[in-house]
Order: sequence, then C-alpha cells, then structure tokens
Amino acid sequence: MRTRLLLAAGAVAAWLLPYGLDSYAIHVVDVILIFAILAIGLGLAMGIAGQVNLAQVAVFGVGAYVTAILTTRAGLGFWVAAVLAVLATVVIGLVIGVPALRVQSHYLGIVTLGLALAFTSWVTNAQASGGAEGISGIPVPELPGVDLSSEYLYYYLELIVFAILLAFGLFVVRTSLGRRMRAMRDDALAAGSLGAEVPVLRMAAFLLASVYGGLGGVLYAGLIRYVAPESFNIANMFLLLGMVIIGGRQSLVGCVVGAVGLALVREALVDHPQIAQIAYGSVVVLVVVFAPTGLAGLPVRVRSAVARRRGRQGAAARLKPFQPYDPEPSRRDGETILQVDRVTKQFRGLKALDDVSLTVAAGEIRGVVGPNGSGKTTLFNVISGLYKPTRGRVRFRDADRTGDAPYRLARAGLSRTFQNLRLFGDLTVEENILVARDRSRTWESWRYLLRPISVLRRDRELHRHARDVLDRYGLAEFAALAPKSLPYGIQRRVEIARAVAAGPALLLLDEPAAGLNGEEVRQLAEIVRSIRDSGITVIIIEHNMGLVMTLCERVTVLAGGRIIADGTPAEVARTPAVIEAYLGDSMTAGDLPPISEVTR
Amino acid sequence: MQVFLQTIIGGVSLGAVYALVALGFSLVYRTMGLVNFAHGNVVTVGAYLASTFYLTSKLPFALAMVIAIAVTGAIGLVIERVLRPLENRDFDLMLIGTIGFGIVLDALVIAIWGATGRAVPSPVQTEPIDLLGLRIRTYDLVVLAIAAAATVLLVLFLSRTKRGAAMQAVAMDHEAATAVGIHVGRSNAIAFMIGAGLAALAGGLVGPLLYVSPALGGALGIKGFAAAILGGFGSIPGAIVGGLAIGVLDSFTAGHFQGYSELVTFIVFTVIIMVRPTGVFGERTVNRA
Repeated sequence: MRTRLLLAAGAVAAWLLPYGLDSYAIHVVDVILIFAILAIGLGLAMGIAGQVNLAQVAVFGVGAYVTAILTTRAGLGFWVAAVLAVLATVVIGLVIGVPALRVQSHYLGIVTLGLALAFTSWVTNAQASGGAEGISGIPVPELPGVDLSSEYLYYYLELIVFAILLAFGLFVVRTSLGRRMRAMRDDALAAGSLGAEVPVLRMAAFLLASVYGGLGGVLYAGLIRYVAPESFNIANMFLLLGMVIIGGRQSLVGCVVGAVGLALVREALVDHPQIAQIAYGSVVVLVVVFAPTGLAGLPVRVRSAVARRRGRQGAAARLKPFQPYDPEPSRRDGETILQVDRVTKQFRGLKALDDVSLTVAAGEIRGVVGPNGSGKTTLFNVISGLYKPTRGRVRFRDADRTGDAPYRLARAGLSRTFQNLRLFGDLTVEENILVARDRSRTWESWRYLLRPISVLRRDRELHRHARDVLDRYGLAEFAALAPKSLPYGIQRRVEIARAVAAGPALLLLDEPAAGLNGEEVRQLAEIVRSIRDSGITVIIIEHNMGLVMTLCERVTVLAGGRIIADGTPAEVARTPAVIEAYLGDSMTAGDLPPISEVTR
Repeated sequence: MQVFLQTIIGGVSLGAVYALVALGFSLVYRTMGLVNFAHGNVVTVGAYLASTFYLTSKLPFALAMVIAIAVTGAIGLVIERVLRPLENRDFDLMLIGTIGFGIVLDALVIAIWGATGRAVPSPVQTEPIDLLGLRIRTYDLVVLAIAAAATVLLVLFLSRTKRGAAMQAVAMDHEAATAVGIHVGRSNAIAFMIGAGLAALAGGLVGPLLYVSPALGGALGIKGFAAAILGGFGSIPGAIVGGLAIGVLDSFTAGHFQGYSELVTFIVFTVIIMVRPTGVFGERTVNRA
C-alpha cells in the first residue's frame, strides 16, 4: 500500500514537474532522463548479471548515430530510423557480449572498453559519421498533434519511455530471467550446475543493456538533434559508471537515483567541471570501499545497524523437522543410470583420476570414499561436466554425456552440491530454491515482451513449488533470509534442498556431513534416504565412515586416483588394500562398525 | 625493404614504452590479481611531472624523471592503501575503485596543467645515427637502454631479494604466503608502488616522443594493456615481447590505415583475448576473480 502511494505521488510529481521549470532547466531534466535510461541498462548488465560492461555509452552512441545517419543521409522518417537504430544496437550488443563467453571480470572490462574506444575512434574518422564535427540537422520526431520540438512536450515522451523501461527492468529482475542472472552473478559455476544456461544469460544481459542504450541514443538524437563524438567518449562512460555505482548497481531504482543525483551535482558545478569530476571520482572510491551496495543499500544497512544497537527483537527463525517424501518405487530401479568408463583426468603432471570405471544403478545410494586428494571431487566434477576428462567416457541415462556443459547435464537430470557450499549469497534462501526449481529455457524470454502475463503466472507457480520445498525441508522460516546469515548446518540443508528442487534423477552430494554435529548427521541420513525413496539415485562423497557404512548400499573406494575397492560396505571394509590405503595400516577391521549396523 | 625496416625501427622505441606500461600492469596483476584501471592516468601524471620539472624547473632530465617516479610511487601507495579492504575479496569492486582513482587523477591533471598539451624537446641533441641507410634517432636508443635496464632491475629484484621473493610467493598463493608470515598488504603495496613508478618512467620517456596531453595516458594505457594481454598477463617476458609487438604493429598500421590505426589495434587485441586469453607466455587461468 505504502509503495503504491509513493508510486502515485512520484508519478504526479513527475507529471507536474515541467510547470515549475524554465526552458534551460527542462533541457537539463530531459538529458537526465536519458542518462537514467542508460543507467538502468548498465545496472541490468553489471549489477544484476555481473557482466562488466564499459561500452554502454558507445552503444548509446550507436543508437544516436544510426538515427542521425538514417534521417539525414538516407532521408528516412525519424521513427523508421529509430526502429532500425534499436535493431542495430541489438546487433552491436551481441557483438560486445561475445567476449563475455570467453572472459569475465577484468578482461571483460578491458575488452568492452577497447570496443568503446574503437567506436569513438571510428566515428571521429569516418566520412559517414561526419568526422569530428558530427552530424547536425536531425529532423524533429513527428507525432500527430504533438509538437516534439518543444522540450516540454519532449519531456513527456521521455517520461513515458522511461517509466515503461524502468517497469520492464524491474519486471525482469524480479522474475525468472533476472533471478537467474543474479544467481549467475553470485556464482556462475553453481548456476550452471543448476541448469542456468550461462552463455545465453550473459548474451541476454548484454542484449538488454544495449536495447536500453539504443533507446537512450534514439531519444538523445531526437532531443539534441545533433551528434558528435565527444558526447560518447570514455569520460561519459565513467560518469555513467559512477552514477550506477553510487546509486547502487544491484538496484535499478538505485541506478536511477544515482543518475539523477550525479547529473544534478554536475549541473550545479557546471562552471567547475574538474571539481565535480574529482568529487564524483572520490565518491566512487569511497562507495566501493565502504558501501558497496551504494545509496540503494543504505536503508537496509541503517535498519540493521539500528536493530543491532537496540538488540535483536522478534523471534529468531527456527529449523523445523524434515518431512519425508512419499516413497515412490521407480520402475527403472536397477537399470544403469550412470556409467563412468575408463576416465582419466590429468592436470599437467598430476593424474587426478587414472582409468576410473564405475557403474551406478538407478535407485542406489552409492558412497565414494577415499583419503584426501584421492580424486573424489575431481570425479564429481567430471561427472557433472565441470571438467572435461582427458580420456574416457561418461554415460548418463543412456546417452553419452562426456564433456557436455554443466547446464546441459543439469537439464538432463543431474544435480549436485558442493564441498564448500556454493549458495547464491545475495539471493534469499527462497530465491536459491526458485533458481533451481525453474526449468524454463532462457531463450523463451521473448515471452517477457509478448506474453508478460504468462511469465507472471509461471512465476507464481514456481513460488508455490518453492514454498513446498521449503516446508518439506523445514526451512520455511528462513525463506526471506540471506543464506550467509544462517548457521552452517542450515546452509548445508538449504543446498541439499536446492539440489533436489531441481528435480534430478541423479543427485551428487559432495561431503554433505562436513561440519555437521551428530544430530545433524542423523537428520542428514534420514533426508538422503527419503530422497532416494522418492526415486532419486544418490552418489555421496563422505569422510564420515559411520554415515557411509550405514547409509550406502555400495561403496567405491578411491586412492591416488584409482579405484581400489568396490562393493557392499561390509565387503569393502574387509578389503586389505582399503584398510591399508584409507584407514591406515595401524587400524584393523575390528574397529569398523559391526555388520548388523551396516545393513540397517 | 628499406621502408619495412625503418617502420620496424620506428615502432621499437614506442614499443619499449608500451613494454614498460605493460610491466606495470603485469606486476600488479601477478601480485594481487588486479588490473589497475588507473594505470594509464598514472602514466599521464608521470609524463606531466617529468616534463614540468624538466621544462619549468630546468632540472636535468634524469633528475626530473626520478622525482616523477617518486611522486607517482607515492600515488600508487595511496591507491593500494585505500583499496586494501577489498583485496582478495571482490575483484569487480576493486576494478571499479581503480576506475574511480583514474577519474580523480584525470581531473587533477586538467586542473593543474590545463586541458591543452605541451611538446617536450628531446633531451639528447645529437644527430640521428645512420646505419646501412636506416636513420635511428639517438633518443630512441636511450629509451631502449633505459627500458632494458629497468626490466633487468625488476627481474633482479623479484628473483634475488627477499622482498621480491615474498612478492612472488604472494602472487602464487596469498593465503599460504600469509601463513608463512609474509605481510600480504605490504607486498601488494610495493607492487603497486613499483607499478606506478614504471608508469611514470614510461610517461617521462614518451614525453619527447609524443605530445604530452591529458589524453596521453589513456592511449598508452590501452596499448600497454594490449601488450600485456598479448604476451600473457602477469608474465614479465610476455610484457616485453608484447610491448615491442604492439609498437611495431602500431607503426605499421599508422602507415597503412592512418586515422584508423587505433581501431586496428583495438580489434587485434580483442581478437587475441577471444582466441587465447592467456596470451603467448601466460599460464594462469583467466577467471582469477
């Protein structure tokens, strides 16, 4: 209710704003709105999807220049040129995004910066773009009954476009596509292992950013009706970056606030541009070090600081017991679900896996044990597609999956947890589950434009499923919390819930009991058994021998990258090689749990 | 053939400067996994400082250079100290932090020295040497000699001194380095200081070759980065080879494409990153962050 009131008040204020402004001020406001649109685009790429993009102003330039060239040189009408210009920026956006498939972070920053410099270098030299003088005489956009040469009326055009773009951006961020992008930003590896098509998502991020940039460029061409290289130089790119960082890159509203705020400050200091630049550069540094979430993150920080000062109030969230699944004997029980065939994985001089073969039947709980450094996690990484084996094949569900990308394997029904927990840190517990639960394809995102209602409907359904998962794992009270704020044992449980929420046929658990206390280990055993009973095959790496011996039907023992034993826990425990390699030769088989306990 | 060789010679001295810029990038990168986006701006500052002391204060060129290097070294220390809380935590934020410093330095340069540039006369006044019909400027040889000396000193420092060995250890594994009692922050600070000093050396040397203007550092920075990438980021021999290669490439494209020469450099280095992100000598994985 309060947000709606605020929204209505904001809309009315924005609508009435021109009545109080003189002709220079309205020009400033018009330019600010364009920067706000650019900032939303940059926020989507950098803040939401984590793709460093220093070419946003260049894309903006492409939009403006294409509009200018098509209207003045080719004689097209403004709106036709505008549509073509946005299409051109889409293409450029995809080109800029291609390096993101190979490199990330710093490299991506420098590549996009290089492409942006290439753009300014080209427009300053090329005939078609009018060289350093630029292009003037862009016609006024025509709209029946509205004279857009008036900057007051142009303001309303911009305001409507801005509102639509902001709403669309927020819509993306809060639903499936944006959630996946944020998951990828927090941990691209884990997102891929949960079925998020990381390459497609990265391209989508650049695509979105460039559409915003292109629309900003079209509006700029229609407003100023003149384009020149210096409007799209690196200094303006860094200014835009400053807006997004100061406002708070992870919040689109923050980006807008940053754009408006910084533009106003710059306007106030228009006679002292160097002072303004030193000021905003310093603020960028300070924000990065002391308030990485920017202005948008301040309310939360203040609130939590106040709460800490007063001492915690309200009941702490409690972990509820796990509710077992209804047993569902799978018809495929006993068939081979996973076959690892003579896999070798070599890291330079180190052979982490040496000719490993392994067959897992559907419905099994398989234990993989071995001393540290014996290649257990490497085996998981090969199975789940993170590593490509040097030699050998991996067959999963009757198909050769050797070297498939993790997200393809995830979509084929493989799910995993990680030894060191890879939860999406800036997402809530519920969103972590939602990302896993969401099995839609990213390329289906055209729905956002053409069938937004169906996107919303599907999202509501996802939320319902996620609620069920949270209830089943007793995590309902943690739904809205950040995973990092939870005790370690609960984080472990969230990660298992997330992996199962993806609806796998085969679940890989990498040391799920590490760091758990006795009671938690007992609950874990119960959970894993129930997961298996619901029809999911489980492979578990574990050091806790008691757990492995009671839980697993078969155990595979690795040492030095080779399989040294394979069989029922009782058989394996009696193998001399295992006792020597794994348990140490000072121990005897008598120290192991009695057989009765082994066959539960 | 004559023209071909002359073009190569023309590229080599600028290439040596690019190599120095690339060395600064690489030293910081290998020690702390950070690409310093303010590096180009530090080059500008160094160029202006050296030319100011040389032209205005009438100091000998060498002394002006030393002062410029000392001042930029201090700037490097400040940058590292301010960003230290982010080290080994959030690389994207650190990157943006260095951009922030770049913005500040850029504005400071214009505020102090103005937006227009200045020409610096060559400190070596002898005639060009004529070698088999090729003309070699004496100053080019000076640049090459200084760049070579700086590289040798850097390599000696890294391999022969305790402090240098500590920095190598931090580069390999900062956690293990901490465990054996190396002060990682101090090690990073020294890397940053030397990196900034190298930037000033490059800026000071390039003054008489190019026109000193606020845009100088941006151009040199991106070329130096391209050189570092080409050679393999973080690799010292890579930075040298990459720098010379980019210098020669530059001098050829300037002949053939005129105004578009920069465009060609950017495209070449984008393609290199796409095809082989680790460069010619690089070994590290790219996604360090």
